[in-house]
Amino acid sequence: MFEIEIDGKIVNANPGENLITVTDREGISVPRFCYHNKLSVSANCRMCLVDVEGATKPQPACSTPVSNGMRVSTKNDKAKSSQKAVMEFLLINHPLDCPICDQGGECELQDVAMSYSSDVSRFNEGKRVIADSDIGPLIQTDMTRCIHCTRCVRFGAEIAGIMEMGGTGRGDSLKIEPFLQEGIQSELSGNMIDLCPVGALTSKPFRYELRSWQMNAVEGIARHDSVGSNIHIQTYKGKVKRVVARNNDNINETWISDRDRFSCDGLNHENRLQKPQIKYDGVWKETEWDTALVYSTKALLREVIDNKEESKLGALASNNATLEEYYLLRKLLKQVGSDNTDYRLNIKDLSNTINLDSNIKIKDIENIDYALLVGSYTRLEQPMINHRLRKSSLNGATIDVINSMSFNYNLPINSEYILNSSQIANLLARTLKAILLSKEQEIPGYLDKFKVSDADTQLANKLLSSDKSAIILGEHLINSDNSSNIANLISIIAEKTSSSTLNLSETGNSIAAKSTGFVPNENGLDANEMLASKMNAYILLDVYPKYDFHNSVSAINALRDEKTFVIALNSFKDSDVFDYADVILPISSYYETSGTHTNVEGEMQSFSAAVGSPKDIKPAWKVLKVLADLLDLSGFNYTDSSKVTSEAKQQIKQNIEHDREINLINTKGVEIIWQPSPYSTDALLRHSNSLQATKIGQLNTASMSASTAKSLKLSDTDNYLGVPVVISEVVADKCVFISSSNETISEKIS
Amino acid sequence: MISKKAKKQIDSWTEKYPANQKSSAVMEALKIVQLENGNCLNPELIQEVADYLDMPGIAAQEVATFYENYNHKPMAKNIIRICHNISCMLNGSDNLVSHLESCLGVKTGEVTPDGLICVKKVECLGACVGAPMMQIDDQYFENLTAKKVDEIVKSLRKEGK
Repeated sequence: MFEIEIDGKIVNANPGENLITVTDREGISVPRFCYHNKLSVSANCRMCLVDVEGATKPQPACSTPVSNGMRVSTKNDKAKSSQKAVMEFLLINHPLDCPICDQGGECELQDVAMSYSSDVSRFNEGKRVIADSDIGPLIQTDMTRCIHCTRCVRFGAEIAGIMEMGGTGRGDSLKIEPFLQEGIQSELSGNMIDLCPVGALTSKPFRYELRSWQMNAVEGIARHDSVGSNIHIQTYKGKVKRVVARNNDNINETWISDRDRFSCDGLNHENRLQKPQIKYDGVWKETEWDTALVYSTKALLREVIDNKEESKLGALASNNATLEEYYLLRKLLKQVGSDNTDYRLNIKDLSNTINLDSNIKIKDIENIDYALLVGSYTRLEQPMINHRLRKSSLNGATIDVINSMSFNYNLPINSEYILNSSQIANLLARTLKAILLSKEQEIPGYLDKFKVSDADTQLANKLLSSDKSAIILGEHLINSDNSSNIANLISIIAEKTSSSTLNLSETGNSIAAKSTGFVPNENGLDANEMLASKMNAYILLDVYPKYDFHNSVSAINALRDEKTFVIALNSFKDSDVFDYADVILPISSYYETSGTHTNVEGEMQSFSAAVGSPKDIKPAWKVLKVLADLLDLSGFNYTDSSKVTSEAKQQIKQNIEHDREINLINTKGVEIIWQPSPYSTDALLRHSNSLQATKIGQLNTASMSASTAKSLKLSDTDNYLGVPVVISEVVADKCVFISSSNETISEKIS
Repeated sequence: MISKKAKKQIDSWTEKYPANQKSSAVMEALKIVQLENGNCLNPELIQEVADYLDMPGIAAQEVATFYENYNHKPMAKNIIRICHNISCMLNGSDNLVSHLESCLGVKTGEVTPDGLICVKKVECLGACVGAPMMQIDDQYFENLTAKKVDEIVKSLRKEGK
């Protein structure tokens, strides 16, 4: 570290740093457009010119490395006049259409022009005009406003991992545009809107809505994946208008996924439930909250609490409720003597589930040197985890993939194993054996039948020789016959090789559900057992059967039973809920309720409601509290949700004990992996029109190899389970990999 | 489609660079493909070149649109590259361009109806001593006047027929 002088002030600087890093740290303002601390330095806008003593010409602060004893002036005449000159050049072709520009009020060009340009332009010639191109449903382009800072170009190449925007042409015909007008495909594309310093790239769904100063920004947490990206929710008159990223270097840095950014579109969808409803003699009638709650209470008393014979109450919840909601629903059931709570609705066999603890921090993923990615396409399923993984790869990490299908990864994959789930389990077993052999440890009986090949030893050696390796298990294998075997093998391999593990089969807020004990204990029934036995009553928390249940047909049939009283808490209308429920209570959706999200590293992030719920819609935690009060249950006198949070936190189970028994099974027949499209994993996403219009939102393919198609007597013009068949040689044999935003037509899968 | 022959030619260039830096050969590859396709590129071909060299399509497009020597429309048999940088401009290249435009009846960048001639304004070709100047194929024509230009055009037309 050495000292340099900036504007007469002596400051410390580290060798190798650029001047702008030092001025930013010291709070000395230097105007800039192309520089961004998370992107590479391109030094093409020249706005950050400063005067460095000894240099004849002014130097760009963003690309000038500091040196010992350097004396810099950012504000003397030479610096100021250079900055003003650059500003004038930048404004030559800028349309100055601020009054009709969406960026107005949050525009870096506008802000900097206020301080660095003169108020009258000397440029009287004709300005350049660029025709807009349609680059998809999320980003609006007005490329005439572009100042060619290339932040969006560098973002694509460096952060999103697919270079989509580029600078074509040269000189005054330089244009920033994507190739072939195919539109932007990246799952992180919305960040270009935040990055663009002018109004060239703006949010399409938010177009012409409001000025930034009209809105309140509320800190929030995005709950669509198990990362919990930090966001600002911008609201106006009680409505969520826009979501933008909030910096948190431990979790999402300055980026958020498009899913987190554009899902808020769905909040004002016409399909929102607006009023409590009761079914009288098969006819739905809107009613007041008092009536609906008293009706529900009476039914619960009649069917469950005062029922002297066998009385069974079950609670099922989606995987994206808040920690408080899981906790209160669990507490309510426990007090009326039921342990039947579950959120794992999409799992075929709950005795064969993935139990794997995560023990790596999100920010540490970028420091690993070897990763084994099993059954996951992190790029679409957990974009911010994928971003860290990509960073690790750019830092030199080796990434291997084991899955039933190959995907369009945006990071280099070293070796890829395309196998069906039994083969995956066998590969992991052989790898474990190779590890034990090389460590000269005892080989357990279940590994006896395996012969270790050179390739297995190679894989084992990669795990053994790496200092910071991680094994990441995703959600593709949750319904395979070997789910628990695979998870347990990974757990043992990780232990033997001192690797970290990351369990990405946890999605939404499922870790909060697990930690609040929402999975049934030995006295309780799990989701499948509940549906199989006749229950007297159910409380369902934001469940949409066709999307959430693994076997939606039998689930709907079980819930529809006339003797079963169903209280459904939902935020959106759903025809099946109207079919089976007896009472429907409209609950708040994302951003309308306070709560807590637990992410994959166990970080519990609480958030407050950004907006009030629309009239007659209540936050679920309040509904559950009042329901408990009406049932005369004790211990529910919470004044606000933070009281629930602190009580729940005291009882959190961090790592739940589970056995690691291994009993490998050979799968017979064709295996189906149904992976919902990333924009259809919860009700809010399914109602976001902008996300649904994207290519990712419209994913709808049943991929299979030619031989699998032949054995199923299918060709690529057919549909399989309602999804168009795609013949692909990157799918494991005897596997069908379905990526779809459709309802699961799951009676055929199980 | 890039022919096998062209791919072989491209390979001879990629061999000169490290294996993970195949994209270094993009300029030559585009040139080879353009020659094979009647002196003209199209988005599909650019994408193919990009795929062949393991680089994003847009990055190849950036190169293909940056340099004058890649054509994106069917090109004339003879391209007159006329310099419009400072020395030539001061010596009247603008007048020569408008003279060429009026005698050929097409604007710069356009091809004459007979497909013979196209005029392109290019950056400095390093022959300022003979400004104003232009280039046809590999030949430089210097110290141009309107009369000289007329003669050159006339001889091009003659050869063309």
